[in-house]
Amino acid sequence: MKKLFVGVVALSMVLLLGAGLAFAGDKYIVASDIPWAPFEMVTADGQFFGFDLDIVRCLAVVEGFNLDDVVIKNTAFDTIIDTVKSGKADIGASGFTITADRAKSVDFSQPYYLSNQAVVIRKDSGLNIVSALAGQGPTKKIGAQNGTTGFDWADNNGIGITVNGYEYYPTAILDLVNKRIDAVIQDEPASQSSLAAYPDLLTIAGIINTNEYFGFLVAKGDPKGLLPMMNDGMAKLGLSVLPTAGGMQKLVVTPGSVWDNLLKGYFGPTNDKIEAAWLASKDLLLVDQDVEAFAAKFAEEATK
Amino acid sequence: MFLQREVLITGIAVIAQSMPMLLRGVRINIELLFALLVLGLLVGTLVALLQVYGGRFFGTLASGYAWIFRSIPAIVLLFLFYFGPSEFGVDIPPFFAAVLALGLRSSAYQSQIFRGALQAIPHGQMMAARSMGMTRIRAIFLIIIPQALRISIAGWSNEFSSVVKDTTLAYVVGLNEVLRRVRIITDRHYDLAMLAYLTVALIFLLLTYTGNWGLGRLEKRLRIPGLQMMRGGTREA
Repeated sequence: MKKLFVGVVALSMVLLLGAGLAFAGDKYIVASDIPWAPFEMVTADGQFFGFDLDIVRCLAVVEGFNLDDVVIKNTAFDTIIDTVKSGKADIGASGFTITADRAKSVDFSQPYYLSNQAVVIRKDSGLNIVSALAGQGPTKKIGAQNGTTGFDWADNNGIGITVNGYEYYPTAILDLVNKRIDAVIQDEPASQSSLAAYPDLLTIAGIINTNEYFGFLVAKGDPKGLLPMMNDGMAKLGLSVLPTAGGMQKLVVTPGSVWDNLLKGYFGPTNDKIEAAWLASKDLLLVDQDVEAFAAKFAEEATK
Repeated sequence: MFLQREVLITGIAVIAQSMPMLLRGVRINIELLFALLVLGLLVGTLVALLQVYGGRFFGTLASGYAWIFRSIPAIVLLFLFYFGPSEFGVDIPPFFAAVLALGLRSSAYQSQIFRGALQAIPHGQMMAARSMGMTRIRAIFLIIIPQALRISIAGWSNEFSSVVKDTTLAYVVGLNEVLRRVRIITDRHYDLAMLAYLTVALIFLLLTYTGNWGLGRLEKRLRIPGLQMMRGGTREA
């Protein structure tokens, strides 16, 4: 008994110490909440991919980093900002909408994606986008993922409704299917991918043009000087951000560029097709670190 | 919905295929469980000893400790231990933070199990030990603690069943334990959510069963034949 006890204590000390010493070296840690298709995805055997993650990898390559130094850390969405703020990760890449509130505690790259919020309802509910958000459904409740702009929007703009916050978007969809809520608000691409799971049951009632720009985020003051490189890398990959009248920004993608191909591959095809295409082309990115060849092959495979 | 035959069959195939990925998560739960139980046992024993034998000052301190760690929700403790130190420039790895937060919390509960056991040893035993010339400290370590540890095992099997499940909260500090990995399945197959969660339930049933079975065996093995505890408390015995 005594020996066993001493053994157990010694072993756990080693475990604790081991964990304590496992500090990252000169790695760049990217925090992302995986999965959130098609921005963040994972293969059946646990490899991370998705629009955000491949963009970050491509940015790293064109800015002269080695991909071995880019570590993707799967982190719960509502803790990513804290994780980056506290220096436990260098970049947050998880479909973050650039908001003034968030910009108080972190710095954003230039926008890389324009997203709107989709309102998903049950086909048989007889609701429309207005009545669903005005509390005319049977439960007077709508769902959104905690910490998302969809949640904030519903909380601020819904009339006579309760907003249920979910840890994770698909559980909101499950509640919708089970008729515990009347609608779910979520970014359009993710909503499209949930419709694919329940094509007979669910539909998108409408899009709220929130004109949200996604950005990558770093700690306030950009301590590692990553933002200029990211913005420069986006231009190299084929995305230009032009100011328009009225303070808006316009995202212009060069046809045939890496950016163009990644958009084609990730937005439109089903998740299964995206995954198959990524698996077929990933070595070009991860091994050869050839972003042009990777993006071209990925888009071709995904859309064929 | 998951009871539809085809869904069930494809579902089981999908889950079987994802099993290695889930088990990598379970490994994190088990490592965490192991480390937090040991930390909890060591600190909990100390707190209980202080509470029973530490005199007024240390006794109050120990009670305060048990009060604080039993009051704060586990998820809040995880946040405090993980993000708190970085406010002071100290980087604490997620596993370490989770062990500290959940382990210290468990120590507060374990201390109360052990305190109850210490107080269940009839006072006469202490008096007998002292009358044989043992010092108080020696009597505590040689007479009281060995018996109290035995009595505690039943309470620990309860605590074990409870902390096994606490390990699933560690996702908030970025540990990709089994429950978080379920999302990898449900994100691809929304209709398999029930089946995936049932799988996790089964895994935890197994974990709890194994742990309690082990503790039960330990309890039997360490039982002192013929020893009877006085009913109804300590002092008056």
